[in-house]
Amino acid sequence: MRGRGRFLSVYAWLVYVFLYAPIAILVLFSFNRARQTAVWEGWTLEWYRSLAGNDLILASVKNSLIVGLASTAIATVIGTLVALALGRHALRGEGFTRSLLYLPVIIPEIVLGAALVTFYGVLSFHLSLWTVVIAHVVFCVSYVAIVVRARLSGFDRSLEEAALDLGARPLQTFWRVTLPLITPGIVAGALLSFTISIDDYVITSFVAGVGATTLPLQIYSMLKVGVTPEVNAVSSLLLALTVVLIVIAQRLQQAPVERGEMS
Amino acid sequence: MSRLARAAAGGILAAAVLAGAACGPRGDETPYPGPGEKKLNLYIWSEYLPKEVIDEFTRRTGIAVHYDLYDSNEPVLEKLQSGVADYDLVVPSDYMVRILIELKLLRPLDRARLKNLKNLDPRFLDKQFDPGNAYSLPYVWGTTGYGYDKTKAGRTEDSWAPLFDPRNRGQILMLDDMRECFAAALKFLGHSLNSTDPAILKQAAVLLKKQKDLVKTYNSGDYENILAAGDVWFAHGYNGQLARVAAADPRRFGYVLPKEGATLWMDSVCIPARARNVESIYAFLDYVLEPEVNARIVNGISYASPNVPARKFIRPEILNDPAIYPSEEALAKCELLEDIGDATTILDEYWTEIKAQ
Repeated sequence: MRGRGRFLSVYAWLVYVFLYAPIAILVLFSFNRARQTAVWEGWTLEWYRSLAGNDLILASVKNSLIVGLASTAIATVIGTLVALALGRHALRGEGFTRSLLYLPVIIPEIVLGAALVTFYGVLSFHLSLWTVVIAHVVFCVSYVAIVVRARLSGFDRSLEEAALDLGARPLQTFWRVTLPLITPGIVAGALLSFTISIDDYVITSFVAGVGATTLPLQIYSMLKVGVTPEVNAVSSLLLALTVVLIVIAQRLQQAPVERGEMS
Repeated sequence: MSRLARAAAGGILAAAVLAGAACGPRGDETPYPGPGEKKLNLYIWSEYLPKEVIDEFTRRTGIAVHYDLYDSNEPVLEKLQSGVADYDLVVPSDYMVRILIELKLLRPLDRARLKNLKNLDPRFLDKQFDPGNAYSLPYVWGTTGYGYDKTKAGRTEDSWAPLFDPRNRGQILMLDDMRECFAAALKFLGHSLNSTDPAILKQAAVLLKKQKDLVKTYNSGDYENILAAGDVWFAHGYNGQLARVAAADPRRFGYVLPKEGATLWMDSVCIPARARNVESIYAFLDYVLEPEVNARIVNGISYASPNVPARKFIRPEILNDPAIYPSEEALAKCELLEDIGDATTILDEYWTEIKAQ
């Protein structure tokens, strides 16, 4: 019994090493003095300094953050409303709508990218940063809706009924009862869409217009001259940001669940 | 210069024609626009234009420059094909210029507006991909040879021979590019890299099949890093990246332009059919053709330029680096990859056999 426990923990650690060793190496190499990415030559902060002066990378980080935040905000609102509509009401053609929801998740990105750019072409909608935001909303809505729907499926409707019985108006019920209960799902969906948006390459490369180079596009264009340690540095910073976001999200997620159980 | 295999280019061309029929821009119907705004949207290879050169242009003319970067030719085709990308200048490679011209995605050059056109070396003008330079001006050029690790490969002869030598088994990297691999084999056998004679192509295919046993990997993406990491002794590739590896550690790495000859490649500046800021475009083209400005570009990016008077201002270590500016006789043996028509199908079949082997 004890032996198996040790085996399991060793096994678990190996899985973690497998998952996180490449990321650890990336962070380590952002402090590497050598310009060649494959050789270790000692510690330096030089790449973080030169990153601060690299207008191209900084502009692309700014674009990525604008796209990530804007598309997450829009997709979270739309996706949550879609999930509520599908989860609460018997609609005509509901099965069809539900299948449509999965489409942006399952069709190959390259097809979605090509379709979007053709669509913009037909509308004579000139490519810019906003065409990227719209494209990201398209696939992020699906992720948010799917995650929120999953949360709703375990939802106890009697809580809402109780609120209505006790005299709350429908809107009050929504803000005071429904929303707090599904908040963990919404936050998880928003985080998921932000993460997917910030590292999307394929769809973005199709729909980005003048001045709309995002960080992944910037990194790809730099591959021609080799990934410089500046890229490692900016990736490490983004990683730190993501970790902070996830910690905040987990805190947020835990609180309402406890309250929900108590009530 | 990472480029998709030309085999793929054919497929993209076919897809492009289909998409173009559906909704693409009609280049021939676009009226010639007015002078446009005082701004310029560039779409260019990364590391092809130093920032200081752009800044000085803005200082001189008041024209604001926006630029986005790419690292392969296909995004250029995709953006121009969409009909809704507002780029004023693009810099595709030779074979892509031809595709863009055939799809009517480029605007003919008004040569009368370029007083510095005379600076360009005639050896780089009037090529098969754009006869008479109706649509494109050569911007930078280079060669496809190989880089090698001096500490492991020892002395190497200036020839393709080491890449086909059984003693180097498992230490060779070849570009994952059909035309470039056939070019190496054809040149090694003493033929033109645009040969269409089936007997000659067969010889080259036999050579490449035999070579496959020696090849560690086919890679067009980050071959220079694989060489720099010491994973192979020889890496077939474009001079730009390989020269950079050699410059970082000249005692360990070198670039070879084989004496049998090699591929010459050129990236050219073109105006998309839908470009609008015409005044800014011609102001910029004439600006980068100025000898001093052009030399500053070359000094910044370490690629060769076809601008003749610019050579006076180029740093001697670049001008005398045979990996960047090869000797006249070495250059004379280099050829551009041309459209070889039906022979492409023969190469496709051989290439599939080689890769599937």
